[in-house]
Amino acid sequence: MDIGNLFTIFVTAVLINNVILNQFLGMCPFMGVSKKSSSAIGMGGAVTFVIVAAAIVTYGLYHGVLAPLHIEYMDLITFILVIASLVQLTEMIIKKTSPSLYKALGVYLPLITTNCAVLMVALENIKQGYDFAEMLTYSFAIPIGFTLVLYIFSTIRERLDAAKTPAAFRGNPIALIVAAMMALAFSGLMGLV
Amino acid sequence: MYAVLLFAVLGGLYALLYYCNHKTPLPEGCENLKAECSGCKDIGCANHPAHDA
Repeated sequence: MDIGNLFTIFVTAVLINNVILNQFLGMCPFMGVSKKSSSAIGMGGAVTFVIVAAAIVTYGLYHGVLAPLHIEYMDLITFILVIASLVQLTEMIIKKTSPSLYKALGVYLPLITTNCAVLMVALENIKQGYDFAEMLTYSFAIPIGFTLVLYIFSTIRERLDAAKTPAAFRGNPIALIVAAMMALAFSGLMGLV
Repeated sequence: MYAVLLFAVLGGLYALLYYCNHKTPLPEGCENLKAECSGCKDIGCANHPAHDA
């Protein structure tokens, strides 16, 4: 296991190839659940949990079932069904075991089924030919980058609510301009590793 | 053959989990939870404000 390689994968996934600002995935929660920083943290936590769990299950399923049976072409439909099932299972377990956690995350769980970042991580782990350690690192790094950007964006939007914004720019227009500026700022990190 | 079997198994698993999750009662105090979501274009999403009416 090469620690330097894992560090490169981590930094690249969090800052340079950020899932929102560089790959433009997960835009629905980015715009919809970024009005309050508390909601952004809740969504980030739920996304982290589901991405890591889905990545481990899909990685195992691909190398344990699809590849040995030579039905690799089934990866897309398999991963979609696994992610959807996993979200249902997670929601059910949280409902049964931890009402407080359900109160914090439960409302965001159905949203995650439609978050394309989850599917991207599952497919990218296979496409890049990662081993288990690399897959885990990448699967943790992507949602960390997602949560970081979502939280920064939510704090800016909270301040924008109190700012004197011209009427034509209020709401989503100014939010999109802020998102564009954030994407420009993050593009300055290219070449870091 | 394996592909059809796998699809049937995963589809059945999803249907079963969806049914079980739907039947699991919500914890106390969580009956009217709403996401702080201003709404994107996905009207099918249960958190879209279009469903509030």
